[in-house]
Amino acid sequence: MLRKIGVLWAVLAVLGLTGCGSNSPTAAVATSNDRGTLVENPPLRVASLNAADFSAQLSATTTGQQLLQLAGAPACGVDFYYVKYWTVGPDKSAQLASAALMVPTGSAAPCTGPRPIVLYAHGTTTDSAYNIANISDSSNSANSEAATVAAVFAAQGYIVVAPNYLGYDISTLGYHPYINGAENADVMMDALAAGRAALLTSFTPNTTDSGKLFITGYSEGGYVAMATVKAMQAAGGTVTASAPASGPYAVEALVDAIFAGQVNIDSTFLAPLLTTSYQRAYGNVYSSPSDLYASTYATGIDTLLPSTSPASTLIKEGKLPETALFDSTTPPSAITNNPTLNAQASALLALPSSPPYSASQAALFDVGFGSPYLINDTYRVGYVDDEVMNPDQAEMTLLAGGTLGSGNLALAASPAVGLRQDLKLNDMRNGGWFPEEPMLMCGGDQDPTVYFTNAEIMAALWSPYVQGGLVSVLDLNGTPSGAFATLQGAFQNTYAQLVASQGAAAIESYHSTEAPFCLVAARGFFAQVP
Amino acid sequence: MQKKIVALGVSAALALAASGAYAGDAGPNEIRVGMYFVHFDTTASDISGPYTPPGLGIHVNNVETLYLAYTRSLSDHLVAELAFGYPPLTKTEGRGPAALGSVPYNGQTISTARWFSPSLLFDYVFGDPDARLRPYVGLGVNYTKFFDRRSTAAGDAASGGPTSIELPVSVGPTATAGLTYEITDRWHLYASYSVAQVNTRLTADTAGILRTSKVHFWPNALVISAGYSF
Repeated sequence: MLRKIGVLWAVLAVLGLTGCGSNSPTAAVATSNDRGTLVENPPLRVASLNAADFSAQLSATTTGQQLLQLAGAPACGVDFYYVKYWTVGPDKSAQLASAALMVPTGSAAPCTGPRPIVLYAHGTTTDSAYNIANISDSSNSANSEAATVAAVFAAQGYIVVAPNYLGYDISTLGYHPYINGAENADVMMDALAAGRAALLTSFTPNTTDSGKLFITGYSEGGYVAMATVKAMQAAGGTVTASAPASGPYAVEALVDAIFAGQVNIDSTFLAPLLTTSYQRAYGNVYSSPSDLYASTYATGIDTLLPSTSPASTLIKEGKLPETALFDSTTPPSAITNNPTLNAQASALLALPSSPPYSASQAALFDVGFGSPYLINDTYRVGYVDDEVMNPDQAEMTLLAGGTLGSGNLALAASPAVGLRQDLKLNDMRNGGWFPEEPMLMCGGDQDPTVYFTNAEIMAALWSPYVQGGLVSVLDLNGTPSGAFATLQGAFQNTYAQLVASQGAAAIESYHSTEAPFCLVAARGFFAQVP
Repeated sequence: MQKKIVALGVSAALALAASGAYAGDAGPNEIRVGMYFVHFDTTASDISGPYTPPGLGIHVNNVETLYLAYTRSLSDHLVAELAFGYPPLTKTEGRGPAALGSVPYNGQTISTARWFSPSLLFDYVFGDPDARLRPYVGLGVNYTKFFDRRSTAAGDAASGGPTSIELPVSVGPTATAGLTYEITDRWHLYASYSVAQVNTRLTADTAGILRTSKVHFWPNALVISAGYSF
C-alpha cells in the first residue's frame, strides 16, 4: 500500500504539481472609504470604440446622425469606464457611488498626451437604474445622454468624468438629493478625484490630465455644475472655465414662479424629487407627506422617486398625476390682516389666464392644473401667502412684469415655509459669490421646463462680471449673433422643424432639444479659454 | 510544505527504482508513458453578466500532452488504472462577434489554464491472458482541477480590465476503450480512446463585475502509450 502511494507522489512530482500555479489577478479593491477613493483600480472598461466605429454606430440611427452633424465627426476613439468611488451623503456619511470616465483614444494629436478634463453633471431622471457609464446598453435611460457627451466632448479630445448622482445606479442612499447644491458638488468633486486616479491605470496611460478643468452640465446638471464651481472655488480648487446650461440656479425664484401658477412641464415628477430631497436632508418640509400632497397621492410618495418603474407606469398606476400639479379651483389667500397682500396672493393662486400671460403661455401653465391634483390646496395657499409676505425680490419683480436690476434680486429675507427656507439655502444667489473664471450660461428663452429667467437672474446679479466678459449668457432662441450665431440658427431651425412635425406638442421637447446645442456651445466656449 | 511533498515524491521515486532493480518476473504493477491527443467538444452557455452583450461564446483549443499512468492488475481480466496527463496549457478562444465595440473578440485567445486531470478507471481486458493482442474497456471517475488560470491581454481588453478566472473542480465519469499489445513479458503497447465529462462554471471577475458561463468541455482523447510491468 505504501508503495502505491509512493508511486502516486512520484507521478505528481513529475507533473510538477507540487508547486502552486499563479492565476491572473483582477483589480485591486480599496480598503478605505475616504472621499474620492476609487473602489476598484483599474475600473471596468465598459466599451472601447475607435473613431471610425463610434462614427458608424452614431450613423446607424437618425438621432445619431443629427448628433454627428452637430458635434462633428469623431476625431478620437473613446474608451468608456465604469468608475465606482466613495463620496458622502448630505449628512457626510460615506456613500458608494458610480461615474463614467470617458477617455479619448487614438494617435491623432487631440486624442493623446495631456488632455483637459470635462466634469459633466447629468440631467434630471426618475429612473433609479440610470447609469451614464453604461454606453453598451441602449435600453439604459442614460444611453442617449452618454452618447451625446461622448460625441461632443470625448470624441473631440476631452477626458470626461460624469457621476451618477446619489440615489441612482449602485447608490444605496435611498433617495436622490435633488437640487441640493453642496451635496451634489461633493459628489462631483469626489468623482473627479476618482476619475483622475482611474486615468492613471486606464488602457491608455499616455492620455493624461493636462490640469485644465472644465465643468458643465445640463438641466439639473446645469445647477449641479454651477454649485460645483461655487464649492470648488470655496475649497481653493482650480476651475478653468464652466458652462452650466438650462439649470434652476435661482431655484427659490423658480419654485415661487411655479407655485404662483407658472407650472412647468414635468412638474409632477420634479415636485416629489425636490420635497423628498429637502425633507430627508433638512427635515423641515412636512411632518407627514399629506401636509403637502393631496390625499390621492400622499401615501408612499416620499419613497416613490427615483423609481425602477417608468414615468408612464407610475401615472398608469395612479402614483402621480400626469400634469396636474395644482387644483384648478385653489381657494384664495388666507392672509387676514393685510388686504393688499391677500389680493396679491389670491391673484397668484388663480388659474393663469390671458392677460397677463399670452394665450399660449396661459394654455401651457393651465395644463398644470386639474383634478386629481398633486399638491393640496392648504399647502399651496400657505406657500403663496409666504411668497407675498416674504418675497423673493427677483421673482416678485418678474411676476409683476418688471425688469431685473441690482435692486430687486435678493432672496426672500426670512421665508416662513420650510420648503422655501431650503430653496433659499440652495439657490445659487446665496453665499455672495461669483465665478472667478469664465462662465457661459446657455439656455433658451422659451424653455418650458427650466425657465431662462434662472440665467437672467444670475446674470443680473453678476452684471459687473457680465460687462467685464467673465460671465456670458447664450440664449439659443435669441437673434443669432456673435461666436454662437451658427449654433443659434441651427437650434432655431431644428425647433422649427419640430413644430412643423408635432405642432403645439413640440414645446414638450423644447428643453431636451436644447441640450446638445448647449453642450456644443460649451465645447466652443472651453476651446477658446487660454 | 512544498519542499516536503517534493522530498516525499523523490524518495518514493527512488524506492520505486530500487524495487524495480531487484524485481524478477513481471509483477502486477505497470507504468505507462505515452501521448494524449485531446480534442474538446466544448459547449458553453453564452457569457452572462453586467456589461456583457449577448452572443459571447467560448471555444477550447485541442491539446497534446504527455500521458502517464500507473496500473495494477487485480486479476487476469481486471486492471485498475490511474491515468494522468502532464497538465497541458489549454487556450480558450472567443466565439461570437468579430469585435466588442472596437476590441477584437472572435478567434482571440482570451484565456489560458492548465489542467490537473487524473482519472481512476477499472478496465476489463478481454481475451486469453496469454494473447498478445487484447481489447479492453474501462469505466471510472475523472477529477479535474484548473490552475494557472490567466486572462490574456486580448482577454483583458475584451473584458475591460485585469481579469481573474474561477473554474471550480470538476468530478465526472470517464470511459475508455482500447487495445493492448504484448511485446515482451514486461513491455506492452497501448492504444485507447477515452472520453470524460468535465463540467465547470467559469466566473470571470473584472473590477468586481462577475460574468459567468457554464462550460461542458467533453474532452475526448486518443492515447498511444507504452507500458513496463514490474
